[in-house]
Amino acid sequence: MDNILPSYLILGAILFCIGLYGALSKRSAIVVLISIELMLNACNLNFIAFSKYGPVPSLTGQIFSLFNITVAAAEVAVGVAILIALFKNKGTSNVEEMDSMRY
Amino acid sequence: MNWISNLIDNWLNFMSVGENVAFAILAVLIISSSVLMINFTKVVHMVVSLAVVFLSLAGMYVLLEAEFVAFVQVLIYAGAISILMIFGIMMTRHDEQEQPKQPVFQALLLSGSVALFGIIFYAIQSTAFTPSTGFEQGADNTKAIGELLYTQHVIPFELISVLLTVAFIGAIVLAKREEE
Amino acid sequence: MESTYSQLAWIIPISPLIAFLILLSVGRQLKQYGGYLAVLASLVSFTISVLIFIERTGNEMQNYTWNDWEWLSVDTVTLTMGFEINNLNTLMLLIVSFVSLLVNLYSIGYMKDDDRINVYFSYIALFTFSMLGLVITENIVQLYIFWELVGVCSFLLVGFWYFKPEAKAAAKKAFIVTRIGDVGLFIAILILFWYMPDHSLSFSAISNAFEQKAIEPGIVTLIAILIFIGAMGKSGQFPLHTWLPDAMEGPTPISALIHAATMVAAGVYLVARTFPIFEASATAMTVVAIVGAFTALFAATIGVAQNDIKRVLAYSTVSQLGYMMLALGVGALSAGMFHLFTHAFFKALLFLAAGSVIHAVHKQNMHEMGGLGVKMKITAWTFAIGALALSGIFPFAGFWSKDAILTEALHQNVWYFIVGLTAAFFTAFYMSRLFFLVFAGKSRTDHKGHEPHESPAVMTIPLIVLAVLAIGAGFVFTPFNPWFGEWLTGTAEEHTNWTVIILSNLVGLLGIGLGYLMYIRGTIARDVISSRAPGLSRLVANKYYMDELYQMIIITPLKGLGYVLRLFDYYVIDGAVRLSASSALYVGRLGARMQNGQLQAYGLASLIGIVLLMIIFVGRRFWNVG
Repeated sequence: MDNILPSYLILGAILFCIGLYGALSKRSAIVVLISIELMLNACNLNFIAFSKYGPVPSLTGQIFSLFNITVAAAEVAVGVAILIALFKNKGTSNVEEMDSMRY
Repeated sequence: MNWISNLIDNWLNFMSVGENVAFAILAVLIISSSVLMINFTKVVHMVVSLAVVFLSLAGMYVLLEAEFVAFVQVLIYAGAISILMIFGIMMTRHDEQEQPKQPVFQALLLSGSVALFGIIFYAIQSTAFTPSTGFEQGADNTKAIGELLYTQHVIPFELISVLLTVAFIGAIVLAKREEE
Repeated sequence: MESTYSQLAWIIPISPLIAFLILLSVGRQLKQYGGYLAVLASLVSFTISVLIFIERTGNEMQNYTWNDWEWLSVDTVTLTMGFEINNLNTLMLLIVSFVSLLVNLYSIGYMKDDDRINVYFSYIALFTFSMLGLVITENIVQLYIFWELVGVCSFLLVGFWYFKPEAKAAAKKAFIVTRIGDVGLFIAILILFWYMPDHSLSFSAISNAFEQKAIEPGIVTLIAILIFIGAMGKSGQFPLHTWLPDAMEGPTPISALIHAATMVAAGVYLVARTFPIFEASATAMTVVAIVGAFTALFAATIGVAQNDIKRVLAYSTVSQLGYMMLALGVGALSAGMFHLFTHAFFKALLFLAAGSVIHAVHKQNMHEMGGLGVKMKITAWTFAIGALALSGIFPFAGFWSKDAILTEALHQNVWYFIVGLTAAFFTAFYMSRLFFLVFAGKSRTDHKGHEPHESPAVMTIPLIVLAVLAIGAGFVFTPFNPWFGEWLTGTAEEHTNWTVIILSNLVGLLGIGLGYLMYIRGTIARDVISSRAPGLSRLVANKYYMDELYQMIIITPLKGLGYVLRLFDYYVIDGAVRLSASSALYVGRLGARMQNGQLQAYGLASLIGIVLLMIIFVGRRFWNVG
């Protein structure tokens, strides 16, 4: 076992799938946001693992994950703001009730 | 019984390296706390276990010699985002008892997620990664990142700063609008 | 000799067409001037018709044909459109444009209080256009187009007061019954097209082909009979006559123009125009003569028992059209056309005078009139002239034409003559009955301070003009002066027969005398027949139950069939349509339910999609390997 990269990747995949499951199964909008963060973290882990053990090791992976973290932070900020606005309007944070875009 | 002894051999072999031991501990921590997060019923507990995941990931980054990213991870994820989530929870009301979704939906979702994982697992296992010696980034990791950010990646960097500003203003506008 | 005015003949129908288009588009703005426009348009037509007539009577002239417009070209067959001017249709042009001019003039007065007066004038203009077009058309297909157009105009004008249910029903009846005849004509055209050499359908080619007997006799008879069925529908010959009396629901000037002088004469004109076809088949000629003679007598007897002033005139029209057909059937083309010519004047006169009466008293039942002769002198005198002309009393126009027909009929077969003579007797009788009931005696109804008075000049002038013609028009074709016949057909065929002259006058006077005795002197009780033979009188008063007969043998079974078909349509065809519609609807509902707005459901769908895609792509590796 001289190559540890697959272990990291599989860990990332597990994390991603758990996040995906959470994002699609939970009713609370906050929990959905949290699960999405989990998925983003799984990506970051992949980037950094490749940055060290990848075929072409380079710092770019780390920089990309930095950007990723920034975008995630912005996303959470806006997401929570939308959530609060919605809650004020509709009195709910249940994603299933946010269906005004249905036919 | 041959394959069991093989497995144990492999495992012992794997654990003989200190780095690998740390990886194993962190991985267990990450997976167990994220699974816990999904299963908790109280939202605050979820956020706490999420913070554990974020911190363990930071440890993982240290293990991968990405000290700066680990630092940022602690600052932004474990710090800022978790706090933001807690604020979001405080500002909205949450049902303590979540009714589960329709069984068909649950089953489909579970099998879909597992299938996705299986596919990714298969892809990773069947790929022959060229073994690399590892990337010695040295102690000047942070400096190197800073240099790269301001030279090669300066345009995305500036764009990201604009994005952050826009998100910041947008968040304020969205959250404030109703009060008028 | 060059025909100068014949080249301008296309203006004759176009002028009313232009009036129609103007009235159609800006009729609302024209207000009461719409009538003057219509009069002007028909005046133009009339002027040119007169010029052509004068030109053609003064000189020996070739027929003028213009048919350069290729309308349809299929393989080697070309259908052209154009017009032809010969003596026959010059005469028709003259009659149609003249009557239309007078009727337009008269309508200005008669329809002045109607809100839709300009619609009315536009319909008349369209009718005039179609009728003139029908007359000068050069081939039979074009004739058929105009034939249908006049039918449409008749429908529109009969149903002009569409808010009256009777008018609506009458319009539908007029249209449908004439359609039955039109189908016959159409089939005749198709057969003609099939059998004519070079598939040519122009009248000149038709007359050439039939005069040279290029077509086998059975087919000739078939074509002739089918054409005659078309003529029967339009000209109200038995058994397709039922629509014409009902058509009296239209405005009276319309009855004068369309249902007395012009359109109903179109059938006679059609037979005259295709006369070579009839001449080639003795059977067809006999059919025409018998139907004509029967209709003449049949309608005349019905006329005796009618109470509506316009219906009496309508049955008299049917009867007179029967005379014309009889004349054509016995081969007397010029006598038939001559009767058409005189009849157009005196029948238009009678209708317009009747319209004047209706205009004054606002009712149509003769028994509620009476004593109008004193109050409406001009109307009464002109009506009397028309009635005498219709009764065939010397020296009015009707006498000469009826005499010509009867002479020819006697020449052919004595039975035709007897039938014609009997019909003439009834004609004289019902006309005198009509006249005496309306104009003589005392008023039988209280006018409630609204005394009837003479109509305005715009209505009486046409009456006077027509009265003059009802007296004088006959002199163009007398036994002593056969100019008309010579001009029309090229041969003088008038025979002087004193027996006929005396007999026809005698029966006419007899009829009038009987009417006088019954309705003025009262020497003979009015119910002399109805009290002795109530069945007969009821039979006649109910028009021999023709409408009821049709109702029973045609309309009721057809309605039943229609009901069955409607059920089939509703349950089977509509059912299929509804099934497909509702299945589409349910598929749509199903699709719409997918769009439930649940973000997580969408997420799950895309997850499954991605997994499936990946399985397909990854799976391919195994299958290729395996």
